[in-house]
Amino acid sequence: MAAITLLEAIRKGLWEEMERDDRVFLLGEDIGVYGGAFKMTEGFLERFGEDRVIDTPISESAIVGAACGAAMMGLRPVAEMQFIDFISCCFDILTNYAATSRYRQNIGIPMVVRGPSGGGVHGGPFHSQNVESFFLNTPGLKMVEPSTPYDAKGLIKAAIRDEDPVLFFEHKALYRNPRIKQEVPDDDYIVPIGKAAVRREGRDISVITYGVMVYTAMEAADRLQEEGIDIEVIDLRSLLPFDREAIVESVKKTSKVIILHEATRTGGMAGELTAVINEDAFEYLDGPIMRVTSIDTPVPYAPPLEEFFMPQVDDVLKAARSLAAY
Amino acid sequence: MIRYPAFDPPEYIDWQADPRLVEEFARTIERDAGRKEIVSALDHKRLLSLYEGLVRNRLHDIMLKRWVKQGVISKAWLGTGEEATTIGAIHALDRSAASDGRPTDFVAPMIRNAGACHEMGMTVTDMLRGYLGTEDSPTRGRDLHIGDFQKGVIAPISHVGDIMAVTAGIALAFKLRREPRVALTWIGDGSAKAGVFHEAMNMAAVQRLPLIVILQNNQVALGTRLDQHHRASFLDWPAAYGVEGAAMDGNNVLDVYAAVKVAARHCREGQGPFLLIAETFRMGGHATHDEREARQTFAAELFERWGKRDPLGLFETYLIEGTMDLENGRRARKTGSPRERNLEVLKRVEERVTSEVEAAAEEALSSARTKMPRPEQAAEGVYAEHSRSSAQQASGIVF
Ligand SMILES: Cc1ncc(C[n+]2csc(CCOP(=O)(O)OP(=O)(O)O)c2C)c(N)n1
Ligand SMILES: [Mg+2]
Repeated sequence: MAAITLLEAIRKGLWEEMERDDRVFLLGEDIGVYGGAFKMTEGFLERFGEDRVIDTPISESAIVGAACGAAMMGLRPVAEMQFIDFISCCFDILTNYAATSRYRQNIGIPMVVRGPSGGGVHGGPFHSQNVESFFLNTPGLKMVEPSTPYDAKGLIKAAIRDEDPVLFFEHKALYRNPRIKQEVPDDDYIVPIGKAAVRREGRDISVITYGVMVYTAMEAADRLQEEGIDIEVIDLRSLLPFDREAIVESVKKTSKVIILHEATRTGGMAGELTAVINEDAFEYLDGPIMRVTSIDTPVPYAPPLEEFFMPQVDDVLKAARSLAAY
Repeated sequence: MIRYPAFDPPEYIDWQADPRLVEEFARTIERDAGRKEIVSALDHKRLLSLYEGLVRNRLHDIMLKRWVKQGVISKAWLGTGEEATTIGAIHALDRSAASDGRPTDFVAPMIRNAGACHEMGMTVTDMLRGYLGTEDSPTRGRDLHIGDFQKGVIAPISHVGDIMAVTAGIALAFKLRREPRVALTWIGDGSAKAGVFHEAMNMAAVQRLPLIVILQNNQVALGTRLDQHHRASFLDWPAAYGVEGAAMDGNNVLDVYAAVKVAARHCREGQGPFLLIAETFRMGGHATHDEREARQTFAAELFERWGKRDPLGLFETYLIEGTMDLENGRRARKTGSPRERNLEVLKRVEERVTSEVEAAAEEALSSARTKMPRPEQAAEGVYAEHSRSSAQQASGIVF
């Protein structure tokens, strides 16, 4: 077993699912002949043929709408957004059609819409977004975001096998990051949707996070350890549904919480999780729930601006120190 | 013009005019009586400024390629081989100031039409600063897609097709104010498959907006060939929307110029939108990072065929071999061919633009050394007022 990147792990998961289940097929822009903008599907066309690796026109609504229809008929489509930012172009199909189908007409839509998300690579306002908040308020959709290669393979498989529409976010800063390479078993395993992972156990403060920010949290935790602050890092992995139990359990243990995400602040995941903690664990809190997030602006292009925009290790340190003082 | 072996497509390096294509170039501009009249009215100054625009566009792109090679930037989106579709169109518009101080006509280029920016009067320095994300760049470092509202250039966004609808809205404002102005945008063969293209085209047709749309068919959308994402003939599209339309040779700057002139007149007369179909070819990758893939996507003959139709080379040949003396605009008799003098005139233009682009690069790099935005400026300017909450956020953690 060789250590592989997050991108290779997703590839592996897709490949294995296509080998396993001939209902699974891929559609998206430039995914076949070209192998995908990030080369995620390189070699898939050769192996699985044109019926299962479909190069589409630049028509996100048609891509996801067609995925809905095919899924209703029993296929298992996996649609790629070349960058997740372009999911806005099929917002209507996702939120009004896909998300409501089971509730309205008792027809499930087992499709996956996946794509590279996130910033930190100087992609500017339209190639850097984290889009989860747009969909958090849409009952009927699920959302996942792996931070490790192991989870990436297990979650893409779980997403494909799920009976409902799943949005699968892949942080592009992690795609080929050698630091997070991991040995990933060849077995057919899944990582269940809705379950968080404790990345680091700690007594003093819970940092609840996901995606690339898991590593920001881990780095901050190492530094804080030297100051005698013991951080627990919870990696949500699933953003909708999120693992309420794991969150509450951690808060009961530490009594102090930082919620860390790369998406912008207002209306983000952090606000929702804060409410949940208030509802389920208010009595246990020893300090204010803190948010460390990107600021409320579009994602800026120039490196100094983007660095300021996005949460940095230092921001977590500051938040943790002020919280520790309570 | 001078070729740059390290940066030009291989087909351009030893470029020689193919007599058949030179002849075709001349025939193309005489094919249509209306266009022919427009072209024959061009004086030497106009012709030279078209040439200058093409050279500027080419050299701007070559500078970006050089920067990629040097690691100054990670990649760049180029218009190599498609310059005529951009430059010819801009020169056909009315760029003189309207009563609001802005150009009469407005344009919304795709990133591949960067040449539109400099021909509308933006400096190459500012364009290059855009890539570097400096504080003195047009977006103050917020985006690499650039424009300049005062110069009539609407910056693109990545989401293809959106700008079509916005440009229709600019045309709508012109119509509602009874101003004889025109808005022009380009859209790729691939991007024309976004639903918003259809919505905007139809609405513009219904509202009879003074909108020119150039469908720039360069035979490819990123890594997907035209035949993989397209069935019908683009030439049937204007009729489908009930708008006026025509084909033009996207590699013939004079044909583009004349076609857009005709379209602009039509729009200004209140006759509704004009959809122009330009055939051209992307002589490289989608951007600088995937040139190898582009060569794999297409048969070598296709590059070879289109390489011979270098829009710059063809126009240059037309000018050099033509009967017009570019120094003074006089038509020469058969005896005293102005060939040598014309060569000299064009060389001077090229030298001037070369220095301009080199100086622009120096200036932009100097901005990158001394004028990068300050980090906390990221928080500014989301709303009309610098709101309290963003100021608070800028000062650190808020809870
Ligand atoms: C809505 C949307 N989907 C996908 C993309 C990614 N993308 C950027 S350019 C491009 C290809 C555009 O092709 P075309 O319109 O033919 O223009 P060209 O690049 O050939 O000039 C794609 C798929 C995008 N920018 N916007
Ligand atoms: Mg194209």
